[in-house]
Amino acid sequence: MRWSFVRRIAAKEILSTLRDHRAIVSNLIIPLLLLPVIMLGLPLLLGGLFQREATTVTELAVQGVEHLPSDLAAAIEAQAAVLVAVDDAEAAVRGDDYPAGLIVAPGFEDAIVAGGSAEVVIVVKEANLRAELNAGKLRSAVDAYRRGVVAERLVDAGIDPAVLEPVAVVTRDASTEAERSSGQLAWLIPFFIAIWTLTGGQMTAIDATAGEKERGTLEVLLVTPVRRGEVVFGKFLAVVTFGLSAAIMAIVGFVLGGTVLRRLFLPLIGEQGGEMAAMMGGSLTITPTTIALLVISSVLMAAVVAALLMSVTLFARSFKEAQTYVAPMSFLLIVPAIALQFKDLIGTGAFAYWIPVYNVMILMDDAVKGTARLSPILTTWGVMAALIAALLAFAYLNFKREDVLFRT
Amino acid sequence: MIEVQGLTKRFDELVAVDDVSFGVDAGQVFGLLGPNGAGKTTTLRVLATLLRADDGRATIAGHDVQREPEAVRRAIGVVNGGMGLYDRLTGREVLHYFGELYGMRRAAIERRVEELDGLLDLAGTLDKRTGAFSTGMKQKIVVARAVLHDPQVLFFDEATSGLDVMARRAVLDFSRRYPGETRAVVWSTHVMSEVEELCDRVAVLYRGRVVADDTVAGLKEAADAPDLEQAFFTLVRRSGLAQGQEVAA
Repeated sequence: MRWSFVRRIAAKEILSTLRDHRAIVSNLIIPLLLLPVIMLGLPLLLGGLFQREATTVTELAVQGVEHLPSDLAAAIEAQAAVLVAVDDAEAAVRGDDYPAGLIVAPGFEDAIVAGGSAEVVIVVKEANLRAELNAGKLRSAVDAYRRGVVAERLVDAGIDPAVLEPVAVVTRDASTEAERSSGQLAWLIPFFIAIWTLTGGQMTAIDATAGEKERGTLEVLLVTPVRRGEVVFGKFLAVVTFGLSAAIMAIVGFVLGGTVLRRLFLPLIGEQGGEMAAMMGGSLTITPTTIALLVISSVLMAAVVAALLMSVTLFARSFKEAQTYVAPMSFLLIVPAIALQFKDLIGTGAFAYWIPVYNVMILMDDAVKGTARLSPILTTWGVMAALIAALLAFAYLNFKREDVLFRT
Repeated sequence: MIEVQGLTKRFDELVAVDDVSFGVDAGQVFGLLGPNGAGKTTTLRVLATLLRADDGRATIAGHDVQREPEAVRRAIGVVNGGMGLYDRLTGREVLHYFGELYGMRRAAIERRVEELDGLLDLAGTLDKRTGAFSTGMKQKIVVARAVLHDPQVLFFDEATSGLDVMARRAVLDFSRRYPGETRAVVWSTHVMSEVEELCDRVAVLYRGRVVADDTVAGLKEAADAPDLEQAFFTLVRRSGLAQGQEVAA
């Protein structure tokens, strides 16, 4: 293989793609912004809403307010709520006049004072998030009142209220700092990196194969002294470049989201937003090793995806047809990403690192959690390198097949 | 310059090129005349090393197309009717790209581009992206790309299809001048008038076979026809290959 020819082919494909403004937006800008938006933007938005809902004084409907004990009324008002007396709390909530309501039956207070039991009904539209948040205020208040009544009755009977909790349960988190901060939704990070290798590379791949066929330039290219292997490898390098550039931008976005932006925005997103950001991996501890593992894994992922794209898109007669072939390819990345989400249940024994694509995703997940080990790393890289070689050989053979090249 | 003997190419059951033989000397414009599906493009693709023949042999500038494909590709240039270019590259970038694939150095490519500017009037095409080109401008760069490395043999495959009258005339004049004494042109077309104007010899192809190979005058005489079109139909009818198909008198 003559590298000067390979470089020339790759350089032309790269220049051609760079001159397409759509490629710049989809390969560089969107991947840079998407992860920070998901990691912090969503918590920033929702956390702010939760905070606002928790602190805003809300009017809640109470049916039978005259039967409501003053302690319970005070407990509800302590939850940033104002009680409004209504005749039919259920109708008021159904009609969206109030986000939640309470029905206090006649004789409620008397029953409690007499040492008996009584019922209150919380009315809420359960499918409505805002209503649920406000119903939560009512539940908390009723629960606090109930515990108060129980404690009072036990004291009156000369019993220590601690008798109700003979066993204290303490859960201790044994995960490392990196594992703790990676969040339950950290699997989204390898998923997005994988998806960007596909999204970033596909335009170049289609243009360099089916696009060349459609324009009639492939035939002219192949009558020059350049060899088929050089054409395949040059185009492959260009596709890898764009797949990788999109993935790298996603990693940069992820690093930005996990460090700079987190510092800037975490105070703004409130306690619940902070919890949500952590769940999405927005509190990750990022070390140079993590970044190196992510970058190398991204190179392998981009190379596999590029070789696959080259093999598939060359079959197409036109740009449009190639797009229809590429669309289902995303499932090849989505399925392992879904499996990754449940990897704690599926298991991540040594066998998992022999499954191409899935293994890179687990490795990326290990990297962000700081649990990557040498043996799985080497297995993953070896399997992926073998797959890249096999797919490239397949693409090369396709480039030599007359029925593929002249399928017009 | 070109020797073709018993060339055969099959696609599954279809015999696209069937025992085709002809020769082209230096200084000649050689015509491949036939309707769509006659096997012209397949023949040219075999000669250009894009397809592999199932049988027969062909040499171009002394190089066997099967055994020395790279040497053959250095010796040929191809102009087809598709006028395919890279939309986001300028005319100059296209020429540099192909020049480098022919192993030319940048300075040599620039010198050749200047030469070709004189021959093809490339002004206005070199520093503009080809996506904005008119058909005529595209065809100039397509021709320049094909002759950039000064090939000994130049193939034109339906090269004037879709061109306006001015661009068509420019291509016809260029191909007539190109052979000089040391090079050859193969002009593949279904347009009789182009063959009558350009070609020193013509092979008439029908259903993958050569039904006649002669000068234009020789074909007319053999068919006892006043013009090439009439001669073409007579020769096809006589070949017996048109059985089951209606061939006009």
